[in-house]
Amino acid sequence: MPFSRLISQRRVVAAAAATVAAALLAAGCSSSPNSGSSSSGGVVHLSMLTGFTGPDEPSYQALVKEFNATHPNIQVTMTVEPWATVAQKLPASWATGQGPDLATPSSDPGSIFNYIKTNSALDLSSAIGTGATQIDTAAFPTSVKSAFTVSGKLYAVPANLATLVLYYNKDMFAKAGISGPPKTEADFIADAKKLTVTSGGKTSQYGLSLADNNTIQMWPILQWMSGGDIIGKNNCAVVSDQASVAALTQWSQLVMQDHISPVGQTGADADTLFSSRKAAMEINGPWAADGYKSAGINLGIAEVPVGSAGPVTLASTVPLMIEKSTPHPAQAEEFLAWYTSKTAQEKFSQVSGFPPSRTDLTSAVSSNATVSVFAAALPYARLYLAGQPNATQIDTDVYVPLIQKITRGANVQASADAAATQINQLTGCKSS
Amino acid sequence: MTGVPSGGAAPLRLPRRAGRLLGRIAAVLSWVVVIAGALAMLVPFLWMLGVAFRTSTDLYAAPARILPAQWTLHGVQAVVGQLPFARLIVNTFVFAGGATILMLLFDSMTAFALARLRFPGRNVVFVLILATLMVPFQVTIVPVFLTLFHLGWLNSYQGLIIPRATSALGIFMLRQFFMRLPSELDDAARIDGAGNFTVYWRIILPNAKPALASLFIIQFAALWNDFLWPLVISNNVNMQTLPAALTIFSSQSGIDHAALMAGAAISLTPLAIAFLLLQRFFVQGVAASGIK
Amino acid sequence: MTTTEAPAAGAGRRPAAPGLRRRRPRFNSAYLFIAPSVILIAIFIAEPIAQSGWMSLHNWTIGEATHKFVGFANYTALYHDSRFWNALRVTVLYTVVVSVGQVLLGLAVASRLRKTTWYSALLRSAYFFPYIASLVVVGIIWKFLLDPQVGLVNAWLSDVGISAPDWLQSTALALPTVIAIGIWKNVGFAMIVLLASMQQVPTFLYEAATLDGANTWQRFRHVTLPALRPALLFTSIIATITGLQLFDLVFAMTSGGPIFHTESVVMYLYEKGFVEFQMGYASAIAWVLFLIILAISAVQLRVARYRDVD
Repeated sequence: MPFSRLISQRRVVAAAAATVAAALLAAGCSSSPNSGSSSSGGVVHLSMLTGFTGPDEPSYQALVKEFNATHPNIQVTMTVEPWATVAQKLPASWATGQGPDLATPSSDPGSIFNYIKTNSALDLSSAIGTGATQIDTAAFPTSVKSAFTVSGKLYAVPANLATLVLYYNKDMFAKAGISGPPKTEADFIADAKKLTVTSGGKTSQYGLSLADNNTIQMWPILQWMSGGDIIGKNNCAVVSDQASVAALTQWSQLVMQDHISPVGQTGADADTLFSSRKAAMEINGPWAADGYKSAGINLGIAEVPVGSAGPVTLASTVPLMIEKSTPHPAQAEEFLAWYTSKTAQEKFSQVSGFPPSRTDLTSAVSSNATVSVFAAALPYARLYLAGQPNATQIDTDVYVPLIQKITRGANVQASADAAATQINQLTGCKSS
Repeated sequence: MTGVPSGGAAPLRLPRRAGRLLGRIAAVLSWVVVIAGALAMLVPFLWMLGVAFRTSTDLYAAPARILPAQWTLHGVQAVVGQLPFARLIVNTFVFAGGATILMLLFDSMTAFALARLRFPGRNVVFVLILATLMVPFQVTIVPVFLTLFHLGWLNSYQGLIIPRATSALGIFMLRQFFMRLPSELDDAARIDGAGNFTVYWRIILPNAKPALASLFIIQFAALWNDFLWPLVISNNVNMQTLPAALTIFSSQSGIDHAALMAGAAISLTPLAIAFLLLQRFFVQGVAASGIK
Repeated sequence: MTTTEAPAAGAGRRPAAPGLRRRRPRFNSAYLFIAPSVILIAIFIAEPIAQSGWMSLHNWTIGEATHKFVGFANYTALYHDSRFWNALRVTVLYTVVVSVGQVLLGLAVASRLRKTTWYSALLRSAYFFPYIASLVVVGIIWKFLLDPQVGLVNAWLSDVGISAPDWLQSTALALPTVIAIGIWKNVGFAMIVLLASMQQVPTFLYEAATLDGANTWQRFRHVTLPALRPALLFTSIIATITGLQLFDLVFAMTSGGPIFHTESVVMYLYEKGFVEFQMGYASAIAWVLFLIILAISAVQLRVARYRDVD
């Protein structure tokens, strides 16, 4: 058997492997590290990373395209990835100067704190002003401006601004003999009960589709309606105060005893429930309107019912920041300035159905029936856990479990007290 | 009953006809159970295929149906239209295929050395390799990203493939398999003057087809389905793989079910084909090499 | 069987090719064989693991200029962290049941389907199919299938008159449901590995056993099972390692809910490291998990060695 002839094959293979490895390493070392942006022939290329996956993306891409068309010397490319991936990539990317010039780090406005702490985000204060290439912060809602200003410096602009309103199914309302959407909290509760259809222990129709996790939060609105809140002015928890506990008790009873809503829904579940005509009402944001309409629902949109504390709803905004070590800060700032300008915001509003992120455009968008409802809510819309560096942690570790517990029968006062203690530990509240 | 192997309790003594009948019932029952189980394995995927072609209203109205009542091509159109489809498929094949082939080579070489060759530190090397399986990916992802950055390999095929070109799982699996191959095969070759590489290439590998085929499909599928790694390594959409790109159809503001499921079905198809092609190797017996 | 004892230094010591004069000790080429894998593992897995160990001794936020060294403070904090212990309980429970479940079911299915008939091949393919599908896609599919409003499972159950609960929202049922899906996904893997090993059992052993009067069960117990020990060991070690690293499935299906009832250790790690940016603490969690897996695998290997003749 001529095996002996093949002894040298071993050496050949080893040599080949070594050559391949060396070639790959050499190829790797000779290529320059990617830095996300470049400039060639006077044109500056900026890269932008956002989490606007799904049906939202086209609206943002349209905006970027408009900018590129009107700014031939600055070309922006927007990449879209899931929020979870952005969260895993961005810290290391920005820390190594690898990352995109612009990014929305998270859908949660509280996420900016980490990037400020690690000195990865550019201070935008020098770009503030009323000029054409400057960021007009006076036009932002106060809550947004203060959410993005840390230690007196501006670090982000709103990539979007959403308010929550009441969506309702007009057909279901008509069938239940209710003439119009509820205007007060009392009506709200009565309608929810009336629209819940239960037979033989099984609920075939829910009055209200509530979500408690993986969602833009709805439950804080139910507290705010009656004057309750989660964290008070001095950074201390008020979730266990009387007003909050009363609201939480009332609404958890409605869920558990009157079955007005399923328990434990994610935001997506709640949307599906409403889309599939199994719920009559849902508190949701502007992103949902198109989907509901194309699902064939006879859709009604109204402002959130008013409780004893006056009109209130939840606002949510996504921060858009610039990488600290970007080679083109001026151009990136110019993009932000344009993005938040009147023309861009008016256009974005029309295309996306979102209200504009500026307070001086309400009349401009009043012609669009859908957008005007969202825009009308801007003056009294509140941010959830505004200005809290630990907002994400408070939400996932404390608030979500709190709602999940009380809708499964836990004692509201006791659970709220435990939640308050936890919150105070996280916020560093000093009082007893 | 005579000559019952030791160690067991005496078998139940039934009258012959009853025993045979019971045996037959048990056999039929076991087939029924196995077939039911196989259906349970497949029905979710059939449902997924159905959703890929269903409109939203159809889906929500009658969930307990697998076949669509209202057909739509929207899902498939969204996937093909919104993504640089051809490029993504190429990237996914290059990544998954390239890394898997390299992996089979490197893993089998290592497994051969661990199973058949004696060298100092052999057991230590095996344990250390096995140990690296035990750390979750999430924890190494940031240091690996930094290493690739320093090498300048971000956004490149080599950055995508080289770090994944070996697998402790593969090494472990092949080592176990090689250890079970009879050493007479090796010895016969060595007597005739074969060196280590020859034994590896001509004796061990050809006899390891079932293990290699299984490992191929397992690793190919794992790499094909890995969407996080390509997303982290590259920020250029042209370097992404198909599963990574499909994540755009799922978001906080609504899931495009038809598109997501269409994408998932499309992503699963090459895997299914590769699997069917390699089927015949899974249950190949020991090669006719004179064992009997 | 005649084997000549190969000389100590190098097999195949009679080179026919001229020029191969120098004696090449055998261990040299062994190192060449393991070199590619070992180098890659060292650079891309071992070094990052070591780096994460280093990170676990600090308060570490990515991108910060300096990191405060805190020694073992993260580990002591972990010891007192009830959420960690909950995650550990969830993970261990999942791992034990899924490992045992997939091995037992895999064994049963493999022994039933070991023939090379076309229908056996078809059924084997069916069982293996879930394994090659992506975990995230599987999670999404099952989440939808189990949805009480629009899901297939509850619709079918109510068609036969059973009022089914909300599987993934019930604090009592969420984890068992996830476990069941874990078994569903992995049975195919166990089946394939055990089947490959079953194929290697020489048929003459079965013939001899039948001649001795052994029935099906006895053949299985005394011929098949002993031959499967290495494969069983392999499958249970892999099942343990992957089970203890549970993440994708719960991330896609339950996000660790309801109220942390399905939160696994790696989910908690992810939360701490990538949502709260505490990479030091997350690395400590990873290292504790690593040591636990190491310990359990060592025990499994040791137990197997006492009973295995290799």
